[in-house]
Amino acid sequence: MARYIVKRLVYMFLVFFLLTFILFVLYHLMPANRAYTDARTEIQTMKKLSEEEKATKFDELYLKYQRLYGTDTDNNLILYLRWLGLYPYYDGHYSGIFQGDFGFSYDYNLPVVEVVPVHMRNSFLIGIITEIAVLAITIPLGIKCAVKKNSRFDRFTQFFTLIGFSTPSFIIYIVFIVFFCSILHWFPVSGMKSPGTNYTGWRNVLDVLHHVTLPTICLTFGSLASITRITRASMIDALSLDCIRTARAKGLSEKVVIYSHAWRNALVPMVSIIVGGFFGTISGAMILEQMFGFKGMGLLFLSAMRTADYDMIMFLEVIYTFIGLFSNLVTDLCYGLVDPRVRISK
Amino acid sequence: MKKKENVFRTLARWLVRWIFGLRYEEKWFGLKEKKPAEVQFKDGVPDDSELIVSPGKQILHRFLERKFAVFSVFVVLIMFAVVFIAPHFMTKYYDAFTETTQKDLPPTLDFMNVPGELKDNIKMIDSYSSFSVGLSNDGKVYVWGIGGIGATGIDVKQIPEEVRSAKIAYVAAGQDHIIAIGEDGRFYGWGSNRFGQFEATDIVRENPNLEPIPEEVSSGSLDVNHIKKVTCGYQASAILMDDGTLYIWGNKQTYANMDKFIGRTNILDVDFTLNYVVGLDAKQTSVVTGTKGLFNKATSTIGGTKAEKMSDFLNGRKINEVRATTTSICLLLDDGSIALTGDFQSDVVDVPALEEGERFVDIQAGSYHFTGLTNLGHVYSFGGDHYRQAEAPEVNGAKKIYAGAFQSYAVDENGKLLDKWGLKGYLFGTDDRGANIAERVVAGGRITMTVGAVAVIIEIIIGVSIGLIAGFAGGWVDIFLMRVAEVFSAIPLYPFMLILSSLLSRASMTTDQRLYMIMVILGILGWPGFAYITRAQVLVARESEYVTAAQAMGVKPLRIAFKHILPNIVSVILVNMTLSFAASMQTETSLSFLGFGVNYPQPSWGNMLSRASNAVAAINFWWQWVFTSAILIMTTVCINTIGDTLRDVMDPKSSNDK
Repeated sequence: MARYIVKRLVYMFLVFFLLTFILFVLYHLMPANRAYTDARTEIQTMKKLSEEEKATKFDELYLKYQRLYGTDTDNNLILYLRWLGLYPYYDGHYSGIFQGDFGFSYDYNLPVVEVVPVHMRNSFLIGIITEIAVLAITIPLGIKCAVKKNSRFDRFTQFFTLIGFSTPSFIIYIVFIVFFCSILHWFPVSGMKSPGTNYTGWRNVLDVLHHVTLPTICLTFGSLASITRITRASMIDALSLDCIRTARAKGLSEKVVIYSHAWRNALVPMVSIIVGGFFGTISGAMILEQMFGFKGMGLLFLSAMRTADYDMIMFLEVIYTFIGLFSNLVTDLCYGLVDPRVRISK
Repeated sequence: MKKKENVFRTLARWLVRWIFGLRYEEKWFGLKEKKPAEVQFKDGVPDDSELIVSPGKQILHRFLERKFAVFSVFVVLIMFAVVFIAPHFMTKYYDAFTETTQKDLPPTLDFMNVPGELKDNIKMIDSYSSFSVGLSNDGKVYVWGIGGIGATGIDVKQIPEEVRSAKIAYVAAGQDHIIAIGEDGRFYGWGSNRFGQFEATDIVRENPNLEPIPEEVSSGSLDVNHIKKVTCGYQASAILMDDGTLYIWGNKQTYANMDKFIGRTNILDVDFTLNYVVGLDAKQTSVVTGTKGLFNKATSTIGGTKAEKMSDFLNGRKINEVRATTTSICLLLDDGSIALTGDFQSDVVDVPALEEGERFVDIQAGSYHFTGLTNLGHVYSFGGDHYRQAEAPEVNGAKKIYAGAFQSYAVDENGKLLDKWGLKGYLFGTDDRGANIAERVVAGGRITMTVGAVAVIIEIIIGVSIGLIAGFAGGWVDIFLMRVAEVFSAIPLYPFMLILSSLLSRASMTTDQRLYMIMVILGILGWPGFAYITRAQVLVARESEYVTAAQAMGVKPLRIAFKHILPNIVSVILVNMTLSFAASMQTETSLSFLGFGVNYPQPSWGNMLSRASNAVAAINFWWQWVFTSAILIMTTVCINTIGDTLRDVMDPKSSNDK
């Protein structure tokens, strides 16, 4: 087991470096030159110089900034290694993610490491509530549909999940916003708290709750359909297994057959969705956060994308990639927990 | 006599059964003859175990049993047909079309619906953007079209009570207001008064950019019998008297040269372009704008002939009428010919060649087009033709013509409506740029469906090849390829796609190249799923006898993989292709919705919805997202149904499920 995990971790880090390298190189294709713009702005503050002096001074400054930012080379590998902190800058110091330096956000004027946690907390909070609500609704629903397959209830549910599954999530959000905000006026449309207020204590909690409820409901509804369908499908497969027939033949009660025997089998294909869902809560829901102005990871990424906040994007990409790979590992480990037949150490 | 069954007859039979039910199928087609030799199906499986039915036939038969699935196939086919064929018929459509006066209009087809009571005794018709106002010979006012002005809550269709009870002599419509003058000279106005369109409030008087309505007009002291013309511009109005006195008021920001017209008493005709007031002075030789060099060149046709200086062109002739569209002016000369000046759009109908002895007696101007009436009672339209408003039908005996913004009406001497042509309205409304949503839905569907389809094809080509090779070769090739697939499936989809597409937007690319890149990105990020499925199927197929046989015969491995195994796993790929198609369409719409996919001006079902993320716009302009999303959902539901049903009917395990 331990050997397997170590093996997977090594592999995971290899893939991680490969992916971040690809992203890094891709990102360096973008025509953004911080050293150039900084040198330009500095040269404009010096007014006394003549044109010629300016030109030489500019070259000097440009080189200085390039060395400061570590962009004094065109070699992508060196740039990447510098970003990682494995290759020294011009003055010989190391500064990269291994030294804990993830970069500086120009939008927020703060190191990225200080910006991200607040957003991550918000996304996580809303995500975890959603995930629990979704599982609490979909699993019983899916099981019931599978057990009473082709009943009226099942057909009804199937019809709605088909529509829900085929609807892009943002349309669901639009409908909810129109219904709850524009028609019923129950919830505010966007933001995290009422503007211009500075509540503390209990009122603050209530105010935040008032703002967060609708996004949570929307997010929950957005993923109901697909998970119900998957639960139903895997449960149907599980119910047609021979062991279920045997269990019934033994005279076990229907409850035990369904929830103990069948559900255990149905859980196997669902592990990746459940685990992935929990890890996905950290990444945030991009479209939802964008529509509600919810300050989470997704909105952070989108706004960084729009303003080309380079270090922020790279840091978020690192987090996203890491979460993706790590959740794959956890999924595989969970398979072993759920299904004793899967021998992980093999 | 029984007709022979053939494919079309069978299809028709299904259609009838599906729409009207079994009873009508029997009634119209007769009972299906049960030949003894025919295979009897029970639950989709041949009853006679002796008979062998090919799996393809069996799958087809079971598929056709599912009514909703068959219906979905029809819907998807129709959608495909519409989005790929209809754009060829939308000759007037282009992506970047904008029209300010047609912004945010709700769905309607009533633009030309002249009310029944008005149809037979029309005195005059006028319109500016989305609504028309008509006056009957007995002095009653009618308004049709879209009366609601944006989100202001003002509805010009609510004609004030005093106007309804009064006998009206003149009406005119502006962008968001209507003015009327009673037979007794009283002045009425309704609609928006934000720019002092019909009432001189204190706010209007204090604002230097607004010209308040003249006292003579608002007090009702005008002599109706001496009014020559009542006309409205964007947010301005003008009344011209017989003696050349001009009363003009409204928004001076739109009409910068309005000051030059205030208080003039020597004007013979007046009209509004989008930005200028234009008039005709007593000498009748030039267009008065108060701005030098404007509208001082004239031609007789829109394309072709070069513009001459106005005085050279006129060559002694006099101008009788001035009619202005948004950017151009048509002058009716005293010899019955016309002169054109100003700028024209690219999509125009040229001035018609008149018959011998035929000459224009009246010209009316819409927003972009002109309609002319000749002494023989014929009508001709020319000028801007985007809404087909310049394609006049053949009319005989017309005595009067009226032009709406994009419509024209021909009327006989008794005021009876002879014919009308132009813009009817919009089936799905218009968007925030004034483009027809119905047309954009079709054009956007073409892009969304193409992106989805091409992305899936790329996914299949990469995924299936890699899956086949990995599954069939085994060993280190398998391990390597599967590791690559894992890397690709570990890529976080949305962040990665956003990075790529924002990279693309910074690179200098044409919109088409960008579209191709989006397809390729979607395809490249989506292939691992196909690779896994194919590999799993190949691993099963590899152990079958036919592969062993092929190997024994010495067929090369690659040939076995592609020629022998691939056809046997095609059904599974087909199912996943359908589901992936819907998924790709959804991904594309989501990306475009966020602004990182297909960008304006190219329409896509995603970016057409992006305005709805604003809650206020979503409720006020509901038509801008309801129709598009309904069609998008309908299409994806149907595609997913087909995929689901295919999977169901192909799965031998679920044969007795029903």
